[in-house]
Amino acid sequence: MAVLNRMDWYDLARSTNWTPTYVTEDELFPPQLSGAFGLPQNAWEKYDEPYKQTYPEYVKVQRDKDAGAYSVKAALERSRIFENADPGWKSVMKAHYGAIARGEYAAASAEARMMRFSKAPGMRNMSTLGCMDEIRHGQMQLYFPHEHVSKDRQMDWAFKAYDTNEWAMIAARHFFDDIMMTRDAISVSIMLTFSFETGFTNMQFLGLAADAAEAGDHTFANLISSIQTDESRHAQIGGPALKILIENGQKAEAQKRVDIAVWGAWKLFSVLTGPIMDYYTPLEHRKQSFKEFMEEWIVAQFERALTDMGLELPWYWDIFLKDIAETHHGMHLGSYYWRPTVWWNPAAGVTPAERDWLEEKYPGWNDTWGQCWDVIIDNVVDGNMALAYPETLPYVCNMCQLPILGTPGKNWNVKDYPLEYKGRLYHFGSEVDRWVFEQEPERYAGHLSIVDRFLAGMIQPMNLEGALAYMNIAPGEMGDDAHNYAWAEVYRALRETRKAG
Amino acid sequence: MALFPLTSNFEGDFVLQLVAVDTENTMDEVAAAAAVHSVGRRVRARPGHILRIRRQGADEFLPRTMKVAESGLKPTETVEVIWQMPHG
Repeated sequence: MAVLNRMDWYDLARSTNWTPTYVTEDELFPPQLSGAFGLPQNAWEKYDEPYKQTYPEYVKVQRDKDAGAYSVKAALERSRIFENADPGWKSVMKAHYGAIARGEYAAASAEARMMRFSKAPGMRNMSTLGCMDEIRHGQMQLYFPHEHVSKDRQMDWAFKAYDTNEWAMIAARHFFDDIMMTRDAISVSIMLTFSFETGFTNMQFLGLAADAAEAGDHTFANLISSIQTDESRHAQIGGPALKILIENGQKAEAQKRVDIAVWGAWKLFSVLTGPIMDYYTPLEHRKQSFKEFMEEWIVAQFERALTDMGLELPWYWDIFLKDIAETHHGMHLGSYYWRPTVWWNPAAGVTPAERDWLEEKYPGWNDTWGQCWDVIIDNVVDGNMALAYPETLPYVCNMCQLPILGTPGKNWNVKDYPLEYKGRLYHFGSEVDRWVFEQEPERYAGHLSIVDRFLAGMIQPMNLEGALAYMNIAPGEMGDDAHNYAWAEVYRALRETRKAG
Repeated sequence: MALFPLTSNFEGDFVLQLVAVDTENTMDEVAAAAAVHSVGRRVRARPGHILRIRRQGADEFLPRTMKVAESGLKPTETVEVIWQMPHG
């Protein structure tokens, strides 16, 4: 018997909607889980996924991808890449695995919600594959770091970060809980797949893969490139859903979800990916600056994806374009200064050569962030280490849960964006963070930031020791300078030269 | 006498910070408490300057001897800590 070509049967075979007779449509697809939008089943049957793949095809392709990534790992296991890597690169791996691995497992649950509750048959099929993708990503990104746990306690955070109250993890959880764990199927497709994955995972997975290959870490480069091939497929789940919403008069609701998710993703990437690309990756291995990556992948490509879809650029686009040259410098300075509270060892990345690079990529860096670093460098060179560590908490945003910061030094523009809601004073890091809160205050109002928890007496004793215990940072895991301040030697030498001169 | 949390936005620094003061503290004392977490850490001292406190966005500084309890500041409200040349 002749076998039909896939395209001769795919649309028919995956069109599994039927008219329920024993239950109502709302019982079969509860609006809270399916996404209300007032559209009946048959409107969603027009959903046309751009990437059509059958289950046997998926299994075959995924098997090949796994074989590739796992065999590179096996071949290079004895190469001592981890032992010989620059400490800054080790920090990249630690930050990545901790922030990402368990989030991938969580994403499998979000995909599963689309798989069961979306009224669009095509979406159900794509997210079946997407769900398995996310399980694969979770498994790989837990298996790959495991070989390093016995060498370095901070690597254990690949496994435990999501279960802790570490501040950056509170921020990551707050974001992912908002866009994927507590949204209906259609909103997940817009916020997780279209906004976060199309927009931002290219940054983490392609940008970082390029840096990894440059740094000689081919295992990591292959791993995350392999993951990105899945991301670029299942990121397309949201596009056709947006099309249907726009065609049915729901553009404003669709746009709002895009605007909320893109901003949250941006803030998270500003603390995770920005410092990695512009400070941790050894200078000679940097392919592009964070801003250049953002301009290529977000400004150029994602902007086009939005407008092709018939959506507008988010209302805050001008703010965003300005922030991509600024915010991550503050996030780096913050995570460096508060380094005992992270599970990796931040690389300062401020030798004279690195500062020249920063000044070239970000004109004015020396007169702004550089001014703060000058004081830190003096303290390190002079041995005033007490002043090189914090004695209080940075105030964090009640939306993104990250420090409220701006540009220091000569262009000082730091600002709070406060809001009083039902008698409580909330603080936000930007007009956009505050706007997100105002869209649905009750959704966010009950959450306590790490500072709110401190003020509520939930962190005891009220000092660094209490904060570290609260954040589940065990002895031996606390972050410190990646290079044990070896970079300060060049400044010491410069000072000696100046004295001699 | 009661502990009172404020948020410090220190001129020249990059981040807002939590500062614990007392309702009986004067604005000069609030400025000094905020300086502990910025000056000599990420902001250079400015010899010959004093530090003044103002509400975010306000043009006028709060009087130097005004107490926190008299200021109308709310717990965790952000104050700007600004360098000023005396009589300048």
